[in-house]
Amino acid sequence: MAASISGYTFSSVCYHSANSNSDHEGFLLGEVRHEETVSISDTQISSSELLQVVEVHNHEPCAQLFSFYDYAGQVNEESLNRILKDRRKNVIGWYRFRRNTQQQMSFREQIIHKQLTQLLGVPDLVFLLFSFISTANNSTHALEYVLFRPNRRYNQRVTLSIPNLGNTSQQEYKVSSVPNTSLNYAKVIKEHGAEFFDKDGVMKDIRTIFQVYGALQDKVQSVCGEVEQSERVKEKVQEEVNKLKQQIVLRKRKTTDEERRLQEAQNPEPRLTPEENTEPPETSLLSRVAFHTPSTPERPGPSANPPAYADLLSLQNDSLLPFSSSPTSAALLPRPQAVGSPGHPSPSPLGLGLSAGPNPAPSPGTPYLGNGDGSSSDSLDRQAAGQEDDEEDDDDDSSEYENLVSEVGQLPPVSASVLLQGRPAALSPDGDASVRGSQT
Amino acid sequence: MSPEVALNRISPELRPLLCSVVRNGRVGLDSTNCLRVTDLKTGCTSLTPGPCCDRFKLHIPYAGETLKWDIIFNARDPELPPDFIFGEDAEFLPEPSELPHLVQWDAGDPECLLQLVKELIQQYHQYQCQRLRESSRLLFEYDSLLEDPNYSRSMEIYAGHKNSWTGEFSARFLLKLPVDFSNIPVYLLKDTTLDPGEDVALLSVSFEDAEATQVFPKLYLSPSIEHALGGSSALHIPAFPSGGCLIDYVPQVCQLLTNKVQYVIQGYHKRREYIAAFLSHFGMGVVEYDAEGFTKLTLLLMWKDFCFLVHVDLPLYFPRDQPTLTFQSVYHFTNSGQLYSQVQKSYPYSPRWDGNEMAKRQETCKAVEPATIFGPALPRQIHFISI
Repeated sequence: MAASISGYTFSSVCYHSANSNSDHEGFLLGEVRHEETVSISDTQISSSELLQVVEVHNHEPCAQLFSFYDYAGQVNEESLNRILKDRRKNVIGWYRFRRNTQQQMSFREQIIHKQLTQLLGVPDLVFLLFSFISTANNSTHALEYVLFRPNRRYNQRVTLSIPNLGNTSQQEYKVSSVPNTSLNYAKVIKEHGAEFFDKDGVMKDIRTIFQVYGALQDKVQSVCGEVEQSERVKEKVQEEVNKLKQQIVLRKRKTTDEERRLQEAQNPEPRLTPEENTEPPETSLLSRVAFHTPSTPERPGPSANPPAYADLLSLQNDSLLPFSSSPTSAALLPRPQAVGSPGHPSPSPLGLGLSAGPNPAPSPGTPYLGNGDGSSSDSLDRQAAGQEDDEEDDDDDSSEYENLVSEVGQLPPVSASVLLQGRPAALSPDGDASVRGSQT
Repeated sequence: MSPEVALNRISPELRPLLCSVVRNGRVGLDSTNCLRVTDLKTGCTSLTPGPCCDRFKLHIPYAGETLKWDIIFNARDPELPPDFIFGEDAEFLPEPSELPHLVQWDAGDPECLLQLVKELIQQYHQYQCQRLRESSRLLFEYDSLLEDPNYSRSMEIYAGHKNSWTGEFSARFLLKLPVDFSNIPVYLLKDTTLDPGEDVALLSVSFEDAEATQVFPKLYLSPSIEHALGGSSALHIPAFPSGGCLIDYVPQVCQLLTNKVQYVIQGYHKRREYIAAFLSHFGMGVVEYDAEGFTKLTLLLMWKDFCFLVHVDLPLYFPRDQPTLTFQSVYHFTNSGQLYSQVQKSYPYSPRWDGNEMAKRQETCKAVEPATIFGPALPRQIHFISI
C-alpha cells in the first residue's frame, strides 16, 4: 500500500495542529485507487502486482476533542454526520495530533478506529498520527508522522509520501498525482481555460510552438541550399585563383631567366655569387614554403608584425615572408570569416613562394586561412584581426595582386637581404643564425 | 522523579489526581512501594508558561514485572478523562464497559484516576489469564488455583511473551499467602525505618517453560515481617517438586511460613515465661532484663563469697534453641582490659522444661559452674548466696 498527500494539505493539517493548545484530531478526505502493474521479465511470462494507493486530498479538522465520541469511546453517529456533512463518503481515514507522546495508537484511538471502520464502511481506514517532540530547552522541535492501517494484522505502518518534500538532491519539481479538488480552483480554471486551450483541449501555446518549429526547419532547409550553392561558386573561384597564381609563377620564372641571361651576357663573373645567393634563398624559400604549407595552415605572419604577434607565430618558424618591408603587412592578416562569405585572398607575401606545385588545397594562401577543417581561424588570427581595420584589409585584398605582380620584378635583387634582415626581427627573437639555419 | 517534583510540574487542575496516585497509590498485591511517575511532559505549545505538564509514564508493579503505561491528559481540558498507551502490550484492549471509572469519569474526585488504574489492572490480569491458554499445563495450574478460595482473589499472573529463540512460553504467578501475621509481637515489627504498610507475604513462582520443568519459586516478605522472622537467611522454602503443581506446593509453603510465625510467637511467650520464672527465683539477684522482647537477662550471683555476673541470652527460636549463658567475673580483668567472661552452652537443658523448671535447674547448675569456670583463679571459698 502506498499513500500520498499533497504538500498544501499536509501543511494545512500541520498548521491546524500546531496552533492548537492541546491534542487535535480530524478526518482525512480523499480516495483510494487500485493500481495493477503487470511486469514482464525474461524469467517469467508476466507477473501482476496490485497496489493500493491512498491519496489524501483534503482534511476536516474537529473543533474540539470528544466532539463525536463520549468518555467511553463510543462514537455518536449524529455528531459524526454533523461534522462531516456530505463529505462523509470521501473519508478515507482520520488523524490525531498529540505532543510528546509515543508513536503508537492509544487505547481510545483503537476503540474509535474500530467503530469508525464499521460506521463509515471503509475496510482499510487509515490513521495518521502526528507526534510533536520538543527538546527540553525548546531548541529543537520535531514533527513526526506515521500512517497506520490498524485493520491489518501485519505491516501496519505505511509510508506517506509528500511530493516535492524531502529529497533535495532532486532538481526537478515533480508534478503530483494528487489532484486539486478545490471547487474554487476548478471554477477559475474553467473560466479562464479558453485563453490557453483550443477546442481540442490542447494548449494553444503548444500549437504555436510547433508552428515556430516548422518555420525554423524550413528556413534551415533553404539556407542549406544557399550554402551549397555558394560553396560551389567559391570552389570555382578558388580554382581560377589557383590557375592565375600558377600563371604568375611561370611568368615570373620566365622573366628571371631572361634577366639572368642578359646579365650573364653583360657581367658574367662578378655576379655569380649574388646570383647564387639570390637563388638559394628563393629556392629555399620555396622549399620552405612548400614544406610548410601542408603543415601550417595558419598564416605565416609577415615579418614586420608587431612583436606580440611575432611571438605567437614563432611556432611556425618559417616565416617566410618577405613583405616585412611593407608597413601594412600587419593589415594583411586575414580576419575570421563567417561560413559562406567570400574569402579574402591571402595577404601574405607567401603569394610569391606559394605558387609551388605541391600546393594542397587548404594552403595558407587561401583566403580561408583557418584550419583545414573549415573552422574559423584561431585566436591568433583573431587577435591580429582586432588590430587591423577592416577597410584596410579590403584595400589590401584588392591591391594584393597588384603588389604581387609589381614586386615580382623588384624583389629578386633585394629580397634576399630584406629577408635576411626582416626575418629575425619578426619571427624569432633568438637571432639570425638560428633562423637562417632552420631555413636552409 | 520524586513525587514532589512531579506534583510541582503537573498542571494545577490535574494535581489532585496525581497526588492520590503518588502519595497513596498502591495497586496490586505488591504494595510496598507506591506507584512511580516519570517522563512528565506537556501537550501544550512550548510557549505556554508555568506548570502545564499533562502526560506522564506510570510505573506499576505487577506480578514481579513493572508495567510502564503512558497516561495522557489535556491541560486545556482537565475535565476530560485520560487516554492510555499500554507500552509493549499493544494487544491489550480492555472493554470500556468494564471500566466504570472511565465511563463516569469525575475529574473532581481525586481518587478517580487511582481507581481507574486499579480497574485497568484487573482487566490486565484477565487479559494475561487469557494468554495462558496457549499452554494447557499453565492453564491447569491457573484453574486449580482459581478454585481454591484462599488464592483465587489474591493472584497476579503475568504471561510473558513467547521467547522468539526457543519458542518457549514463560509465565509468572504471584500469590499472596494467607498467613496471619497479626499476632506477631509488636516489638518485632516496629524496628524498621520504612513505613511498613501492610504485612504481606508473596510467593512468586516463575515457569520458564510451558511444560513446567523449570520452576523457580521465590518468597517475598514485607520488611517488617522479614525482620521479625529473623532475616532473609532464616527463610528457606523448599524447591518446587518436579512434576508437582502449585495447588500442592503453595499450601506447603504457606504452612511453613505459618509454622515459622508460630514459632516466633511462641518463642516470645516462652521467653517471657522463662524470665518471669528467673525473676521469681532469683528475685534480688536480677541486675537487668529486657522487658519488651525478653531476650536478655543479667543476674548477679554469689557463690561462696565469690560474686559473678551471669548473662542469659535467649534466642529467637527459644525454646527450640538453647539460651546462651555468659559468666562474667566482677573481680578479674583479661589482658585486654575486659572483664573476664566465659560463655557456657553445654549445660543440661531441655526445651520441654517450663520456666520454673529451668530456673530450678539453673540454680543447681550454677552451684557447680562457677567452680569449674573460675576454678583455678579463684579462692575455694565461694558459696552461693542470692542477694
